[in-house]
Amino acid sequence: MSDFAIGLCGIGAMFVLMILRMPVGMAMLAVGYFGTVILNGTRSANALLLTETFSSASNYSLTVIPLFVLMGNIASAAGFSSRLYEAAFAWVGWLRGGLASASIVGCAAFSAVSGSSVATAVTIGRVALPEMKRFGYSDALSTGAVAAGGTLGFLIPPSTGFVIYAILTEESIGQLFMAGILPGLLLTAFFMGAIAFVTLRNPGAGPRGEFVPFEERFKALLRAMPLLLVIVVSIGGIYLGIFTPVEAAGVGAGMVALMAGISGNMNREQAVKAVSDTVRTTAMLYLIIIGASVLNPFLALTELPATLGETMTAAGFGPYGLLFLIVLAYLALGMFMDGLAMLVVTIPIFFPIVTAAGFDPIWFGVIAVIVIEMGMITPPVGLNVFVVKSVAEDVSMGTIFRGVLPFWFAMAACLLVIVVFPQIALLIPQAMFR
Amino acid sequence: RDLKLADFQPPSHFVVEDVYKPFAEAIETATGGEITVSIFMGGELGPGPAEQYNRAVDGVADIAFGLPGYTASIFPKTLLTELPGVISPETGTERIIANIDMLSDEYRRVVLLGLWNNAPNLLFTAEKPVRTMEDLKGLKIRVPSRNAGVVVEAWGGTPVSMPASEIYNAMQTGVLDGALIDATALTAFRLAEVTKYVTTGMDTTISEFFLLMNRDSFRDLSDEQQKIVLDAGREAAIRGGKAWVSKADSILADFASDEGKEHIQLSADEVAKFNEASAAAVERIVEEAEANGIEARAYVEALRND
Amino acid sequence: MTDEAAVKKPRGLAHSTTVGWAVRVLTVLSSVSLVLLLVATFAGVVMRYVFGTPILGSNEIIQLVSVALVMLAMPVAAQHEDHIRVDVMDGVIGAWGRFVGDLLARAIAAFLLYRLALRAWAKLKDAAEFGDATNMLAIPLWPFYGLIVLGSVLYAVVLVLQFVDVLRTGANRNE
Ligand code: NA
Ligand code: NA
Repeated sequence: MSDFAIGLCGIGAMFVLMILRMPVGMAMLAVGYFGTVILNGTRSANALLLTETFSSASNYSLTVIPLFVLMGNIASAAGFSSRLYEAAFAWVGWLRGGLASASIVGCAAFSAVSGSSVATAVTIGRVALPEMKRFGYSDALSTGAVAAGGTLGFLIPPSTGFVIYAILTEESIGQLFMAGILPGLLLTAFFMGAIAFVTLRNPGAGPRGEFVPFEERFKALLRAMPLLLVIVVSIGGIYLGIFTPVEAAGVGAGMVALMAGISGNMNREQAVKAVSDTVRTTAMLYLIIIGASVLNPFLALTELPATLGETMTAAGFGPYGLLFLIVLAYLALGMFMDGLAMLVVTIPIFFPIVTAAGFDPIWFGVIAVIVIEMGMITPPVGLNVFVVKSVAEDVSMGTIFRGVLPFWFAMAACLLVIVVFPQIALLIPQAMFR
Repeated sequence: RDLKLADFQPPSHFVVEDVYKPFAEAIETATGGEITVSIFMGGELGPGPAEQYNRAVDGVADIAFGLPGYTASIFPKTLLTELPGVISPETGTERIIANIDMLSDEYRRVVLLGLWNNAPNLLFTAEKPVRTMEDLKGLKIRVPSRNAGVVVEAWGGTPVSMPASEIYNAMQTGVLDGALIDATALTAFRLAEVTKYVTTGMDTTISEFFLLMNRDSFRDLSDEQQKIVLDAGREAAIRGGKAWVSKADSILADFASDEGKEHIQLSADEVAKFNEASAAAVERIVEEAEANGIEARAYVEALRND
Repeated sequence: MTDEAAVKKPRGLAHSTTVGWAVRVLTVLSSVSLVLLLVATFAGVVMRYVFGTPILGSNEIIQLVSVALVMLAMPVAAQHEDHIRVDVMDGVIGAWGRFVGDLLARAIAAFLLYRLALRAWAKLKDAAEFGDATNMLAIPLWPFYGLIVLGSVLYAVVLVLQFVDVLRTGANRNE
């Protein structure tokens, strides 16, 4: 059997294991491990298992995950986040689907602190999902909005996706970050459009609230100040150069904990639960990260992505035909692969093809990041859907994938607009750097 | 038999053309095609530099590229080569190879194929030019290693440790005032975008790279094949040393020619001040190593003397 | 969630006294690590701004505490079946499919964790013998390989007990 065939079998086996209810992280780990045993021997596979477990668990940048999860859990337990959402509801709740739109805006705001779509979905999900449930939103709309909104963490700077792309292609991180701003805002607007569309067809999915007088609105805003303050300090701290993102997460979580302790809004039992929920969510997310980092070397050994790239170049299409094929390939890979792993494996193949076809490398970075975001909400392996599932345990995975569908089309529309009008991505970086 | 070589640097990195391809060819030709080398760049076999040593020790890959500085506790003697004034960038690799036997006790868990020096670490600053040692006082400088931290402290700066990939953001936002790193980082980590000044002239730290092979993979080879691989490794080290130094020179020249960027060359008086401060630090580090039972002085002397 | 009832009212071997106690101890230690992580990041900022002296190597503390946090939380996440699954096909594969799947998934996972624990144990001895330690603060690494052994062994034990539980209840579980 050729390495390529082994790669295909491995992916097939992974699907079977997932259908047989194996946790997704473990299924990736299993295929990565046994695949490496076949291709590179048991010694190498055992070693891979340990080094990837240790290096994922000891990754400095990933520690934003437990810290931001803790911040969200304490904010929920102490009632700070529900106040934020009561304020959001007071201001936009009278709109149909207003709270879902508020969640999207929340994700966009949080994306300006977090480079990770997982952290964004977890943090906003913790706060927003219980509230939307309380206000009678449909599970599909509320979970779909958070899963999709979380992907903004990747597009709106800072973004781990752009950093990896820049390192692989030797393009400018600064230009890529700047290129992400307008598409990020555009996608935020498109997501809100998707919510309007869903609630227009089915008003019960995001019921209108009562009109709130302005005096009440400001009172609600005042009550939401504690968490707003934390967000301002941690976002502001990063932009003003006071903290690194990990430190901002630590300071944010620390502030929320101090406020909860001083205000007496949280009893001992709630505090213990917030902490133990955090460690459980952390373990759950890291199993996926470890699984993906064991699977990725196996895929590299099979040269599956490289073979795909060669086949495409050989086919001989025009530039837009090629681009279309590449986007299709990303959508297909995105069904089962982790976004960052996908970038590392594919960019070396696709990047030369794309630049040779005359496309702007910065612009293609934006395209690649949006398509990877789509992969994060495409079944069967949609990282963000899994993350939202971890927050909304009682909602079935099928419901979330259904709820995500309108947002997936919103992303496809946004992608099309950016292909037709590349200026949306290039305006700011060209104005700043050229 | 196919040897898998793992490197975390991007696939477009010059090491592929300048070092790995000649290395692979040499082995293939000399073994008549019995042994081939597959190159996995971009961390395909596992991301990041920190675990590369363990990947070679445990056998994730047959051969791994890495930096001894990331597992400093294992390589106290190897890392003496990074101290200011011990080797010079141009002749360092030759001196290291000439005295390679003195390092054998640090490479018991792996087979050392090649060890070469990077271009010297330069002082990058984001906003504040460093023209005198006074200018460096209190600036938060990212250092690549503990030894470099001691040196920066001796110069009056405040050393900060963080992963190399975080420097860009930290310099842009002002968490760091600067970094002590080699010139290739201007492009490799895009630091040229956030750096206004690069200061050179003083003796400074020089990092090392190595190519390590898993012991069992090495034992699987015949005696003749082992010798071929070792020879190819030594050749790769010499090529690597040349490639990095010449690349660094041209990158620094490009940087200096850009508008708004300045390459500050210290005056002779300032160089003397810096070197005096670092010589004292080096002496302290060597004494400390001797106290820990490492024959540091003999090794440093051997590297310095022709 | 498929085991909603089990989460509300834990029963079965995987929740028995001894294992439950062991899992709780590790969870408490993991929680302590989370608090340490918080304090370490906070202290890093305070030291830099209030005292003007950054802690050289504070990232090493953060990274190693993170290992403890992650590995020691694995058993409790397994015990409560927190780990994410694709449940879209649950109806299609039927009761027997779910039965076989639940057994197979746990058997494979327990085997992988056994391999991981074995390798981590060998690495622990190796790291202790050669004195592997972090760069700046020279913190010895062997205890952290020990945490990987501890976390993955207890994780595997939980899976084996769940395997027995599933086997006992049989294919006709009420879902
Ligand atoms: Na972001
Ligand atoms: Na997907």
